Amino acid sequence: MSASASETGTSTPSRKRSRWDTHEDIQDEVIEIPRPKRRSKSRRSQSVSRSHNPTPEPRPQSRVQVQRKRPLHSIYVPPRTYHPPFAPSRSVYCYERLNSIEEGSYGVVFRARDKETGDIVALKKLKLDEEKHGFPITALREINALMVCQHENVVGIREVVVGETLTQVFIVMDFIEHDLKMLLTVMPAPFLQSEIKTLLRQLLSAVAFCHERWILHRDLKTSNLLMNNRGTIKVADFGLARRYGDPVGVGGLTQLVVTLWYRAPEILLGETIYSTAVDMWSVGCIFAELLLKEPLFQAKGEIEMLSMIFKLLGPPTSSTWPDYDKLPLAKTINLPAPHPSQLRQKFPHITNAGVDLLSHMLTYDPEERISAVEALQHPYFKESPFPKHPDLFGSFPSVAAGEKRRKAFDSPTAPVRAVDYKLLTDFDAP
Amino acid sequence: MSISLYPLASLAQIEQTPSRQDGIPPNLEEDLRAYGCKLIHQAGILLKQCVPLPPLIRFVVYRAMYRKQVAVATAQILFQRFWFVTSMKQFGIGDVGMGALYLASKLEECPIRMRDLINVYDLLLQRAAYTTSPKTLKSIEFKYTPMTYFGSSFYDMKDALVVAEMQILKRLGFHVNVVLPYGTLVNYLRVLGLTSKENVCTRAWGYLNDALQTPVYALYAVPTIVCAAILLATRHLRVPLPSQPPNCWWELFDADWEDVWSVCGYIMRLYRDRDPDEQKRLFTMVSKKGVRKWLEDNGPQLVES
Repeated sequence: MSASASETGTSTPSRKRSRWDTHEDIQDEVIEIPRPKRRSKSRRSQSVSRSHNPTPEPRPQSRVQVQRKRPLHSIYVPPRTYHPPFAPSRSVYCYERLNSIEEGSYGVVFRARDKETGDIVALKKLKLDEEKHGFPITALREINALMVCQHENVVGIREVVVGETLTQVFIVMDFIEHDLKMLLTVMPAPFLQSEIKTLLRQLLSAVAFCHERWILHRDLKTSNLLMNNRGTIKVADFGLARRYGDPVGVGGLTQLVVTLWYRAPEILLGETIYSTAVDMWSVGCIFAELLLKEPLFQAKGEIEMLSMIFKLLGPPTSSTWPDYDKLPLAKTINLPAPHPSQLRQKFPHITNAGVDLLSHMLTYDPEERISAVEALQHPYFKESPFPKHPDLFGSFPSVAAGEKRRKAFDSPTAPVRAVDYKLLTDFDAP
Repeated sequence: MSISLYPLASLAQIEQTPSRQDGIPPNLEEDLRAYGCKLIHQAGILLKQCVPLPPLIRFVVYRAMYRKQVAVATAQILFQRFWFVTSMKQFGIGDVGMGALYLASKLEECPIRMRDLINVYDLLLQRAAYTTSPKTLKSIEFKYTPMTYFGSSFYDMKDALVVAEMQILKRLGFHVNVVLPYGTLVNYLRVLGLTSKENVCTRAWGYLNDALQTPVYALYAVPTIVCAAILLATRHLRVPLPSQPPNCWWELFDADWEDVWSVCGYIMRLYRDRDPDEQKRLFTMVSKKGVRKWLEDNGPQLVES
């Protein structure tokens, strides 16, 4: 930047000067730009004279040069035309209501058909009655998170539609046949190792994607993982999701998040500044649930939850969790006698790599807990049996779509699976 | 992918805004937009949501304050977007500004209290009304009379606020994701080696803030706007940058000269002098009633686009 002002002879002589460039000094080689110039083009500068200021005339030299096509934009700067225009919400009457799927504390979910395209979708009605603070912030977070996290393994939001009154708002999402919780209770045999790897990898890539976009899910559990009949899972229900960042909002984050069985120990112990690691603990619990075919920690209360964790993993020590003593509720907890982790005994049938990955997800110290991106690189996914291709998963009747389970479903399916298994183990390496 | 990109006005929306269709002349619409944004900004300061012009170099120190400023910036962008789908004859800039700020404070995780916001807007509007009243001529000092606690005016404003918030959401199809330009500015200044020049940084930052009073954030992508702010700052301060084809610095950032120049035009138009009558008429048009009265008095000005 040591541009000597005397070298102004190179400034554009033929350019008409606008009000604010009367004194400008334009020099070409003075500033070292630490990036290669990605394009050089000649383009006539057609001034858009919306301002009262005089606009510059076309660049003098440009027409002499060979017209070169403008290279593609940087991926971070998509062309202007890629941005959607402003469009109002459509009416809920664009959809035909079929059946209701579930009613949560937060709203009702319907299955519906798009009258235009015939697509089957899920409509989630938001509860907006008697809101004292305008549109609820939780619903805003949910809609925003879904819009930001458009990923193959996150349930797709199509639009938000409205009813006749201002209190009727519906989120339109892709309809997915199953949730993993229902499947785990219904299916006769647990998932195969190869299937678990596929599911876990899909879950991890979704979580990594959300975290990269500064979204915490805060309620990962098997009933919030939807699965279609093509072996793909989709993370759903962002009702507790929120953006995180530095600094966090006023008063830190709430501890009233994550279903108890999947709640990370730092939240149980009252931490108000937590981060992506809480989602990774939940992923660990889900991983264990897939292996066991039942939830890992089925506690009735928070104290019982902590003691179950301590029992399985051994109580935290100053080396496994250096900041334990600083946690708000740490002093109120009596730690059991120290003993080593029981993970290996609890999961005798998986490989060492599997136990290693699980133990890194269920690490006490949030700083040390594995991240989603790191977990995706874990050797567990690279050893035999390899992850199964999603297309080769079996399909199940959908409870949500009102389909009945066929009687034949209960009959042994193992031989079929065994055939699948042999076929699949080797061509799906990541 | 497309859904996670922030929306921008389409060509049809730019060519004929709903307000213009209702006969509000483009100049007036532009001034009303800017005035609405000023009200949001002033309300933000009174609500301590905003610290104007944090010096860029001490960026890290100011991050905690910056956090609050984002709500004001987000509100202004939502406000600007709204007028591409709604006419000012239908909703007042005061109510929509309030709704936008309330909504943005939630989006940016620093919610404000409805009552605080309403009180602040009440004060701002009273002050605006005072400047147009004959009291000003008699140089009687402005004195704010708070709303009565159980009077209906509070509840009227509260209803208007809730409706405005909902209408913003509804008419923008719940696409309320906003990308703010400040991080991009820091990166670009680093690439251009300008971070050591504090006056350039501060000035460019200021242009970005002022641009919030113009529709540009609803018209152009962030890189283009940031380039315009840097262009204005460096030219005013006579800092040379390579600007001759084929070596144009803005091309590094995927900006087109025409667009950058147009954004500069929008920003510079903010600073032009208005005659006092032009300014005063804005104060009477904060509500849709005022806009309707103006249209009755002056007749709709239909402009061929």
